[in-house]
Amino acid sequence: MEKKIAIRARNISKTFHISEDSHNTVKHRLFNLFNPPRDKCVEAVKMMDFEINQGECVGLIGANGSGKSTLIRLLAGVYPTDTGSVDINGTTLLMNLGVGMSHELTARENIYVSASVLGMKIKDVDAIFDKIVGFAELEEFIDTKIKYFSSGMVARLGFSIAVNAGASIMFLDEIFAVGDMKFQEKAIKVFESSWIEGKTVILVSHSIDVIKRYCSRTAYMKHGVLVYLGVTEKAVDMYLKDNQ
Amino acid sequence: MIIGNILKDWTSRSNKYERLWLLAKIEFKLRYYENKLGLFWALLKPIMDMCIYYVAFKIILKSDVPAFASYLFIGLVVWNFFVESTTGTIQLLHVKKYLYEYSNMNKLEIYISTLFSNSIGFLFNIIMFFLFYHLFEPQSSPISLYNCWIVVLFINLFILSLGISLILSNVYIIAKDINQVWMVVTAFLFFLSPIFYKLTTFKKALPSFEYGNPLAGIIINARKVMMETTAPDFRLLAFDFGYSILLLVTGLLLLNKLGAKAAEKL
Repeated sequence: MEKKIAIRARNISKTFHISEDSHNTVKHRLFNLFNPPRDKCVEAVKMMDFEINQGECVGLIGANGSGKSTLIRLLAGVYPTDTGSVDINGTTLLMNLGVGMSHELTARENIYVSASVLGMKIKDVDAIFDKIVGFAELEEFIDTKIKYFSSGMVARLGFSIAVNAGASIMFLDEIFAVGDMKFQEKAIKVFESSWIEGKTVILVSHSIDVIKRYCSRTAYMKHGVLVYLGVTEKAVDMYLKDNQ
Repeated sequence: MIIGNILKDWTSRSNKYERLWLLAKIEFKLRYYENKLGLFWALLKPIMDMCIYYVAFKIILKSDVPAFASYLFIGLVVWNFFVESTTGTIQLLHVKKYLYEYSNMNKLEIYISTLFSNSIGFLFNIIMFFLFYHLFEPQSSPISLYNCWIVVLFINLFILSLGISLILSNVYIIAKDINQVWMVVTAFLFFLSPIFYKLTTFKKALPSFEYGNPLAGIIINARKVMMETTAPDFRLLAFDFGYSILLLVTGLLLLNKLGAKAAEKL
């Protein structure tokens, strides 16, 4: 059976132009018409091509600053690419320390907004609402604005929304660092259950154990270059060898 | 191609319309229900403005415009919607970043939902105007089918505000002080629109200018259909729709070019 493609990246690259002078006002731009700002170029992601199939769990490893976070933002459609294109087949959710939530809204409102952004209908959110709240252990604070929450509570809520409402393509950036030990155990249990079945997951982690346990294929990045994408064991070996 | 993609996206079956309504409701609640006076604020603003201009122009300057309070009221309702939807949305991509920085949500939905929220306030104000005009204005005309034209005029005002909102908030990504520039422009626009002037004085001083200022055209036509109970000036209406669509297309192009970089620049 032919596998369906979830993400197809063709010749993508991303360079950040970090301006040393801030010409971000009309006044600055007018007074410095003939004195363009000096740019420092950082090639965060260098030209690469690859495909990720639907239902795959792909690991992404590399040292700090190797371009992992930029790459998942490009793939999630949050950042535009400089060259090439990314074809995304489904809804995407990027999750690092939280998912997109407004601190001005209550937990209830955030659940409805986030789930709706992920493509769920209101009646479907109604059906899983109690599950989301129960998993996040926030029953008593459901109508409290999340600006009054502790950072752990916000992270738990974000994780719970992602787990229960989830998009078809999930980018998980160091998610096992969320919450206290009890919550981390719970998060791992969810991951080990059937939750990821049918979902496409791109898992960014510095924990080699996590990558080895869940990912069938792994990408190894170094200085913005995709050095290898294939068998997890081989990618991990290359990563460990480079970091010795 | 961009317009084609947008049309395809908005006609596909999804939870998009439900989501727009949800976001609009939350925005409306945040704006009004967090204050002590609640929804009353939506009405209080044009009434307070109306009192100020009434004192200045009717009592002090002895303006001879008939039904002057209603004349002001409808002008200010249109003006306030325009200002709230343009000045009030310059930092929209910054304030609502949480909606698109973790997913591939279409940014245009953020604009539409915010303007929907403003539309609830507009609807409330137009009902208040209608009641005020027919219950308290001694020189009022009877209710007529021509009043229904206000819906068409509102669509025109919505497209105009959306276009300008898109342009301003996307320029904001690269030039933060567009805020101050726009405040000067709106102050100028306020005095170049026939909000409190008598229409004949306005037309005499600035001949044909109502064709150059789309907001002036909308205000003039709103008074025609709601107060004079006549058909709108169709030539003016065509001009205003032309301007609005042109601004909307410019705004969409900017959203596609500059807005795409909002997550990394803001």
